[in-house]
Amino acid sequence: MDRMSPQTLRTLALLAVLALTVAFFASQIENYFNARLFNRISSSVAIMALIACGQTLVILTRNIDLSIGSVVGFTAFATGNMVSGNPDINPVLLALYAMVVGAGFGVVNGLLVAYARVPAIIVTLATMAIFRSLLVEYSDAKSITSDALPQWLVEFPNTPLFEIGGVEFRAAFVTAVLVVLAVHVILTRFRPARRLFAVGSNPEAAEMAGIDLRKTVFVAFVAAGALAGLAGFMFLARFGNITVVAGLGFELKSVAAAVVGGVAIFGGSGSVIGALIGAILVDLIDTSLVRWPLVTEFWREAVLGMLILTAVAVDQILGRRLLAMRIRREKRKREGAQ
Amino acid sequence: MAAPVLALRGVSKSFGMTQALTDMSVVLFPGEVHAIVGENGAGKSTMIKIMTGVHQPTAGAVEVDGSPVSFAGTREARIAGVAAIYQEPMVFPDLDVAENIFISATDQGLVVRKGEMRERARKLIDRIGMRLDPDRIASGLTLAEQQAVEIARALSQDVRVLIMDEPTASLSAHEAGELRRIARTLAGQGVAVVYISHRLEEIFEVAHRVTVIRDGAHISTKPVAEVTPDGLISDMVGREVGNFFAKAPSTKRDEVILSVEGLDCEDIFRGVTFDLHRGEVLAFAGLIGARRTDVALSLFGIRPATGGTVRYKGEVVRFARPAEAIAAGIAYVSEDRRKLGLAMPMPIFANMSLATLGNLLSPMGIIDRRREREVAEAYRKRLNIRTPDVDMAVGMLSGGNQQKVMLAKWLEMKPDLLIFDEPTRGIDVGAKAEVHDLIRAFAAEGGAVIVISSDLPEVLAMGDRIVVMREGRQMGVLSHEGATQESVMRLALGQQEAA
Repeated sequence: MDRMSPQTLRTLALLAVLALTVAFFASQIENYFNARLFNRISSSVAIMALIACGQTLVILTRNIDLSIGSVVGFTAFATGNMVSGNPDINPVLLALYAMVVGAGFGVVNGLLVAYARVPAIIVTLATMAIFRSLLVEYSDAKSITSDALPQWLVEFPNTPLFEIGGVEFRAAFVTAVLVVLAVHVILTRFRPARRLFAVGSNPEAAEMAGIDLRKTVFVAFVAAGALAGLAGFMFLARFGNITVVAGLGFELKSVAAAVVGGVAIFGGSGSVIGALIGAILVDLIDTSLVRWPLVTEFWREAVLGMLILTAVAVDQILGRRLLAMRIRREKRKREGAQ
Repeated sequence: MAAPVLALRGVSKSFGMTQALTDMSVVLFPGEVHAIVGENGAGKSTMIKIMTGVHQPTAGAVEVDGSPVSFAGTREARIAGVAAIYQEPMVFPDLDVAENIFISATDQGLVVRKGEMRERARKLIDRIGMRLDPDRIASGLTLAEQQAVEIARALSQDVRVLIMDEPTASLSAHEAGELRRIARTLAGQGVAVVYISHRLEEIFEVAHRVTVIRDGAHISTKPVAEVTPDGLISDMVGREVGNFFAKAPSTKRDEVILSVEGLDCEDIFRGVTFDLHRGEVLAFAGLIGARRTDVALSLFGIRPATGGTVRYKGEVVRFARPAEAIAAGIAYVSEDRRKLGLAMPMPIFANMSLATLGNLLSPMGIIDRRREREVAEAYRKRLNIRTPDVDMAVGMLSGGNQQKVMLAKWLEMKPDLLIFDEPTRGIDVGAKAEVHDLIRAFAAEGGAVIVISSDLPEVLAMGDRIVVMREGRQMGVLSHEGATQESVMRLALGQQEAA
């Protein structure tokens, strides 16, 4: 191929922005750029990356999942409950259990959006509240505490798998990145996954091409639920203490990560790698602002908001410019040919 | 000749009370380009939708290779080898050309092999004789290229019948020629191509046989060599005299209210020029894509013109927003009642007062409900709107009565110029005559009217004069006395240059 695909270009641009952000904060904050920064960010990104990855699948189909934070909270609690009742349970089985519980919530969302044809924003706004209330009811307003959890689970997130120059790659982060990579490979190499893009890109044409719109949207929600479930498992392992507010606000952060990562909010284009980098960027800025004396706590949210707006604006402008450039080039080429 | 690949045998189709197709029979042979022509609303779209499995016939049979089939949906039709491409291509803007072509491919396993897919895409594109890079993202393609992608997609699924529905309507002359060549190439490879077009010269260039349909019925099928443009036109319009509405006498006055000269709007339409008198009804005729509605939208300030002058009540005007046109006394009744005209769940009286609420306010700025209702009640009687009361939701009324509510809404504004786009589309004959009478009555009181209509008998019945447009150009202005169905159609089809 003689030129880069727009997707590759976008990913490279994101990485450049990431590098610039790190360089900027390194110039502002003493002792900023070191292994601790990486460790801190990587352990919280491990959770958000999975959620943003699921959110991306849903957004690709022109939908949105606002219930995802509640699903994370519920699965974290349910998984904690499960493991404190059965301390000898196989770790893989426990993770699968979390994913199945999450997928169950995805089924509810998917059925309502795809088959009952209720707009996703309404369905998931409602289920966000409903799932949260279910958690309150199910937990009986009690919390899971880390003493109730087996040692391996508490240690899992911080177990270093390997080290490069003092930077530890810990189990949770590596797992999350592997999962995102797996989803990426599926999205780009697995033929049925192309349907997600088709449905979001042009639903009418997808229907004409014989694609089952409803099934596609349904599957996206179920997959997002399962990924949120896995994120719930990670959440439990990282924090140990699970209350009824676990995962609160994650839905918006996941949308932010996806959008900053170049996923088109109206569906059809984007990648989970982008969402991963978006999640890292959002988290990086969030954590760094805490240490930047120039910005008070009150303004942190605002800076994050501006980042989202800037990301979307730049993406729109760049996209339009690139398209115009290409059209001009084609025109010239054609005129030259005649 | 070889055995037919697809045939409609005595197919009828009705939607509720409307009979869209009656006893339609058409036979398609492999290797032929079969043109289908007819006026707007003759039943072409319904016919295509039956061939492609979108609709199922109410009576009659569809046959593939001589045996009757029943397509439950487009999927079954595709499997049988029937595919269609439309004026607006169905592509996925975010995917590249190769991905677009193979979007519904099922025979290639679960894993995408990019290189192989690209190669196969290239072969298909070569087969239709286009130059197109399989890696290009579809959003940057021209319309003709998008159509080529769609054709390649059909070819990838072993298409045997390819229906091209007005494929060239939005294309430049060069691109249209390209597409006709593709149609011929595919026929040469044994595909049966159904070619639908309003451009007669195109049909004589590309087709082997041509079928004329009118009012949902089959009129004739002949080899192209045996027909002439005039013969086709008279087949297309040759209606029984009984179907015509009588023309009411003109109430035209001397005063010119609207004078349009050389009106242009980007590439959409050019050089529109006419005068309109008080008391006159000016009809705009033309086929789909003639851009008549765009002229109306431009006069009404929705899409301002980019060139030419409009004189209204003696002054040069340039409305940039509908509110300005409304303030100057111009009303535009949209062709799309559902989308732009009526608030379906709202009651009749509220719809009627929507454009004129300002007149109904009490000194306190509160809507005078009683007066609002009185006004609505008066229109109900005057326009003979059949409803138990004016509190009923507009959505509950029949199409004809909805149209009258729309008319009431704009009449209450007491406009000087009424632009009525497709005033009687989808309403029954009785209601049609009533709407015509109301328009006439408005003109008789000194109002000026522009009626845009795709219904030839209506154009002839309503228009004191008739402006005929074709693909954004004004082809001519006919006086009522000089206009016949044939003369209007000839202009609309571009078979005769403007006089």
